[in-house]
Amino acid sequence: MARKILLNYSAERVQEPILATVIKETGLTFNILYAEFTGRGGEILLSIEAPDQEVDKAIELFRKKGVEVREIKRAIHLDRELCIDCGACLSLCPSGALFQDKDNTVMLDEDKCVYCELCVPSCPVKALELSRF
Amino acid sequence: MVNLGKTVVNKSVDEINEKIRRGEAVVVTAEEMVEIVREKGPIGAAKEVDVVTTGTFGAMCSSGAWLNFGHSDPPIKMQRVWINDVEAYTGVAAVDAYIGATQLSETKGMEYGGGHVIEDLVRGKEVEVRATAYGTDCYPRTEIEIRVTKDDLNQAVLCNPRNAYQKYTAATNSRSETIYTYMGTLLPRFGNVTYSGAGELSPLNKDPNYETIGIGTRIFLGGAQGYIFWEGTQHNPTKALGTIMTVGNLKKMDARYLRGATIPKYGTSLFVGLGIPIPIINERVAKTAGAGDDEIRTNILDYGVPRRDRPVIREVTYAELKSGKVRIGDRDVPVSPLSSLKRAREIANVLRKWILEKSFFLTEPVERLPTDEVFKPMKQAVAVPFVRDIMTKEVVTARPGDSIASAAKIFAEKGFDHLPIVNDEGKLVGIVTSWDIAVAVATKKKKLFEIMTSRVITAKEDEPVDLVARKLERHGISGLPVVGPSGELKGIITTGDLSKLLRR
Repeated sequence: MARKILLNYSAERVQEPILATVIKETGLTFNILYAEFTGRGGEILLSIEAPDQEVDKAIELFRKKGVEVREIKRAIHLDRELCIDCGACLSLCPSGALFQDKDNTVMLDEDKCVYCELCVPSCPVKALELSRF
Repeated sequence: MVNLGKTVVNKSVDEINEKIRRGEAVVVTAEEMVEIVREKGPIGAAKEVDVVTTGTFGAMCSSGAWLNFGHSDPPIKMQRVWINDVEAYTGVAAVDAYIGATQLSETKGMEYGGGHVIEDLVRGKEVEVRATAYGTDCYPRTEIEIRVTKDDLNQAVLCNPRNAYQKYTAATNSRSETIYTYMGTLLPRFGNVTYSGAGELSPLNKDPNYETIGIGTRIFLGGAQGYIFWEGTQHNPTKALGTIMTVGNLKKMDARYLRGATIPKYGTSLFVGLGIPIPIINERVAKTAGAGDDEIRTNILDYGVPRRDRPVIREVTYAELKSGKVRIGDRDVPVSPLSSLKRAREIANVLRKWILEKSFFLTEPVERLPTDEVFKPMKQAVAVPFVRDIMTKEVVTARPGDSIASAAKIFAEKGFDHLPIVNDEGKLVGIVTSWDIAVAVATKKKKLFEIMTSRVITAKEDEPVDLVARKLERHGISGLPVVGPSGELKGIITTGDLSKLLRR
């Protein structure tokens, strides 16, 4: 399973090519799920598919370069008890993380979630919840 | 029953009930019936099948419940009543009230409404009832506050003026902004499509001639047995948009099939589970009961146009809608159903089980529902003005390359606040306000393109002015350039134009 890492850049680090350097040094491929930068710093959400040791090494490298790193364990939750399988969320999900199986049960593939948060308010019975990272 | 022409197979509802009693009736769900008719044809299917069960589970705003609280001592003639801070209508006798699904809580707003009150009652939860009155000689009390569950009420009757639309239009949005509608969240630039209705499982679709469904028809309603007691409001059978009024004992219902809901930035509603058994009395009914999703069509409408008659983007079948993607232009657009197909199927199966267990028998309608009724628009005394009626048509414009100083001069001389920026073809490319000029003076910027806003909120000539007012308010601005279909500038409409309307 891919691990998800949230990088937090302070204003001073924004100008440095940190991500590119870590990619070069580790030889790993990162998938950027989300990124936002302003003059006051920024955030990148990465998905990394690699053996645990190597991911740990990458995290260590980011930290050395002055980037705050947090691993995202679980961010979005679909409460199957509350869900009525109406599917209002489906067409809002840009990554296919929310989908319907053969018998029209609404399912969530957390691995694919990019935390855009569009689905959360769209749920008429509040079955979707985002735990903030 | 109705005479729609001779048929080969002829069964009466009584005969079918007798078969149910003997445990010999063949009962299938509407989805199964589609296959059977496809395989054996309508006559073969009519000979084989006795009952087709249908189901739908969707937000039905035109729903609510009549409640009777019993009399207090001393008694009160409730003038206004709130249940969990949601107001119910009590303009009837002393302690009767109607709680409507879309009424919002006065303390929680859209988070909680009449639909949620109904769900809470069904779940057996205690609700707070608060009432005020003016007091009379016979009903002296002027205030009361009690906590009750459904068991404390005399009657709790789900009574829905419009349910189970035969089918419904699908929705999309041409605007460049996300809109929040009763058809859910619609993403900009045809970003998604939403639809409602269960297609081939949907009850009224399965007997569109109203040969078997009518007044007095016993149905599955909210997990209990209920009845159709009239045509629904806005019943429009000639356009395949029939509806029904339904009634049933709320106390016996199940929250699995009756759920309060919040449609984002629209309001509250109630998801109602509803199923109708179709007695297969002849091959004509067999054929309609076996109509598949590929035969049931609806239109995708542009909800970006907030008018009564929204433009049709294209026609679509329920089969395509249910596939999860719909073609619009050269793109596959993702689709959201808004009613639950899974639970619709479940309802059809529960109804089937009830019939097979002999706890549910079919009914012959006491009276037919009209099949020729037309849904009239509202009779409005004053037409709503459109943008083209009040906009300023002679607009002073500038080019992106013009200097900020020249724009400042225009503002000073003409005394207005908005300067649309157009290109050589007269198309709108930006806007500069007097405020932008004031800010620009403090910088070293020289040309208008350096300071103009290029993502301009615009209006169209045929938009009602109400929409313009909403846009101005939402974006905190005071004017909108009016553009034609290809972005050419047609005029400008400002808060000043709107306030002139009030003086008329």
